[in-house]
Amino acid sequence: MNTFAERFSVSGSAAEIRRAKEVIGEDDDFTGVMWGSAGGFGNLSKGVPTFSVPSVPDPTDFLRLHTDDHADPSCKIKIKHGTTTLAFRFQGGVIVAVDSRATAGSYVASGTVKKVIEINPYLLGTMAGGAADCQYWETYLGIECRLHELRNRERISVAAASKYLSNLVYSYKGMGLSMGTMICGWDKTGPAIFYVDSDGTRLKGDLFSVGSGSTFAYGVLDQGYRWDLTDEEAQELGRRSIYAAGHRDAFSGNTINLYHVKQDGWKFIGNYDVSEMHYNGPGGTGGYGYGVRVEGRTSANPAS
Amino acid sequence: MDISFALTGKGYVLIAADTTAARSIVKMKSDEDKIKVLSPHLLMAFSGEPGDTVQFAEYVERNMRLYHIRHNHELRPPAAASWIRRSLADSIRSRKPYAVNLLLGGYEPRERTPHLYWIDYLGTLATVPFGAHGYGAYFALSLLDRYHDPEATLEEGLATLRRCIDEVSKRLVVSPGKYKVKIVDADGVREVEL
Amino acid sequence: MARRYDSRTTIFSPEGRLYQIEYAMEAISHAGTVLGVLAKDGVVLAAEKKVTGKLLDLSGVKDGGYGGSGEKIFLLNSNVVAGVAGITADANSLVNYARQAAQRHLFLYNEDIPVELLAQRLCDLKQGYTQYGGLRPFGVSLLYAGYDPNYEFQLYHSDPSGNYSGWKATCIGANNGTAQSLLKQEFKEDMGVEEAIGLVLRVMSKTMDSTTLGSEKLEFSTLTLDPTTKQPKAKIYKPAEIDALLQKHDLGKKDEDTEMRA
Repeated sequence: MNTFAERFSVSGSAAEIRRAKEVIGEDDDFTGVMWGSAGGFGNLSKGVPTFSVPSVPDPTDFLRLHTDDHADPSCKIKIKHGTTTLAFRFQGGVIVAVDSRATAGSYVASGTVKKVIEINPYLLGTMAGGAADCQYWETYLGIECRLHELRNRERISVAAASKYLSNLVYSYKGMGLSMGTMICGWDKTGPAIFYVDSDGTRLKGDLFSVGSGSTFAYGVLDQGYRWDLTDEEAQELGRRSIYAAGHRDAFSGNTINLYHVKQDGWKFIGNYDVSEMHYNGPGGTGGYGYGVRVEGRTSANPAS
Repeated sequence: MDISFALTGKGYVLIAADTTAARSIVKMKSDEDKIKVLSPHLLMAFSGEPGDTVQFAEYVERNMRLYHIRHNHELRPPAAASWIRRSLADSIRSRKPYAVNLLLGGYEPRERTPHLYWIDYLGTLATVPFGAHGYGAYFALSLLDRYHDPEATLEEGLATLRRCIDEVSKRLVVSPGKYKVKIVDADGVREVEL
Repeated sequence: MARRYDSRTTIFSPEGRLYQIEYAMEAISHAGTVLGVLAKDGVVLAAEKKVTGKLLDLSGVKDGGYGGSGEKIFLLNSNVVAGVAGITADANSLVNYARQAAQRHLFLYNEDIPVELLAQRLCDLKQGYTQYGGLRPFGVSLLYAGYDPNYEFQLYHSDPSGNYSGWKATCIGANNGTAQSLLKQEFKEDMGVEEAIGLVLRVMSKTMDSTTLGSEKLEFSTLTLDPTTKQPKAKIYKPAEIDALLQKHDLGKKDEDTEMRA
């Protein structure tokens, strides 16, 4: 019945506001109500937050034209790609492990990137795809999660947080966002991992790996994975899997960042150099590298 | 890459969908449920563009629920199918269309009849005795032309469905591993083991 | 003083009343009677016409169209007929709205609109006019006789405030109190449609001011299921059919000429 009010009210306060908006050229109908049923839920009542897109006819084409380094190696903007990230759930919580290399084309732009985004003390997000996209929207997710806590007097569930992010990126579908992320944490239901990407896909699962090196990580991870891994075994598996990808995938490497999420929140376990892992292993306990691991062993069988 | 089949039998509709969630060459998940229960007598298998599928399925689910709450009765399968078709037909004429293909199975307790609809992302709606989406359709449709029986018992229907799945496993290069099967009949909706 | 609360529908009086609505209801209680009875295999609707006279051109009513003079009984959709009481001009506007609502439902769901939903659609509109500024409410009450597969035969009533309710038998318009009490006495559960027709005609003949019933003062319709297609079938009687029906129930005009001659 709102149509009634709009069609016929020419003298009411709503009409005044409407006229004023026409004069100053404001087209955003969103009012920041602080009371009533939508009180404090401005963004929710409007669906998703707004974000300006380039004022060109097709933002997607525009972005592709200037960023596609496969088609045009001399393009002006090189988005940072190439990553290996992983997370898995086990008896002792969630292990999150990532590499730290950022590449722009064939150039290694940085070897010390933080690809785990600490959303809040109970939630971690991983970063694959566009670094800026992940960093911006996961930080934004942190804000919304905090507001959820203030409004509802309880922490947001991992399911809800990941759903919020997936709805958000879905609203930008086809406009050039590039993200492949895992939202990991611990809530009332226990440890949880959700995979969310910029297609709008959202999957709940026990074990995920994302990025150009994910196939290499999966190879080690799947074979070593069990639910009843001890904390130490799980951390070792996460570290080894990222090492494997860092070794085999040109776009992954440098160092490994390892996190462990338990009931009382996440804990940063450590930063490990991939080369160091290759030759010596963590704390010099034996290198992961094939050559190092099989040192002195041979398939020749002179005895037979 | 999603594969789904559906067939009617004497007083029921069976719907099967694979449970694989893939991204490029990687299987991200192998127990994903791609069949939504829309109402006490309505099932919908969905496949297509990642992201769109779940978003559209949830959109339909909420609207079916809303209709039920507002009018104290659920939409009958033909009306639900028409509404869903209309949503997709409007969608494809919008700036950002949903690329989703559907198999809608329902049972009407009043008339004691099963209903099956084949719907694609263009807004095509067809009433069918059996249907399939994805690469599975290339193997299953001929098979179902040969073996489908409108009066099949549940056991016979399941056997026919098993034929479809076995054929796809045998001949399709990248065949999915597991399927989820759901049934809708006079007793409502439930999952069945193959 | 009273003027302050009369002139706008949106304003409550100090006693918490909305005068414009009450005036609209008052207008309806002077309008031609409309009566509906729900039977187990159909619904019957009858209405008293007020606009009559020797000079009125009724040639369009006798043949062509779907029946009815267009004053009291309307076909809203293939499964719903409505009888209106009140300001005919307002009723025409509502009937048009209802027909569009029914077509919209058909467009979206490919099925006939459920009867209650159609009543709801009209009531949403009517309610709107009791709330938004500067508009008067519709001076119309309606009886809806309809069928849908979910609840089968139904009879609803809606008033100018936007309230609606379902009935086994009810009456609106002039003398509705008398008719209601007659219906209360004579209504029987699980009546067939033939029995219901008799009841409707009997009550109509007792409530209407005129001494004899005739097609010039009466509109009549039934809604039943077609025995072969099982689809709802609305029938709005043409004048000749009404006269025949009245004769059959011994309520028609005595043929004055015969009486004179005798």
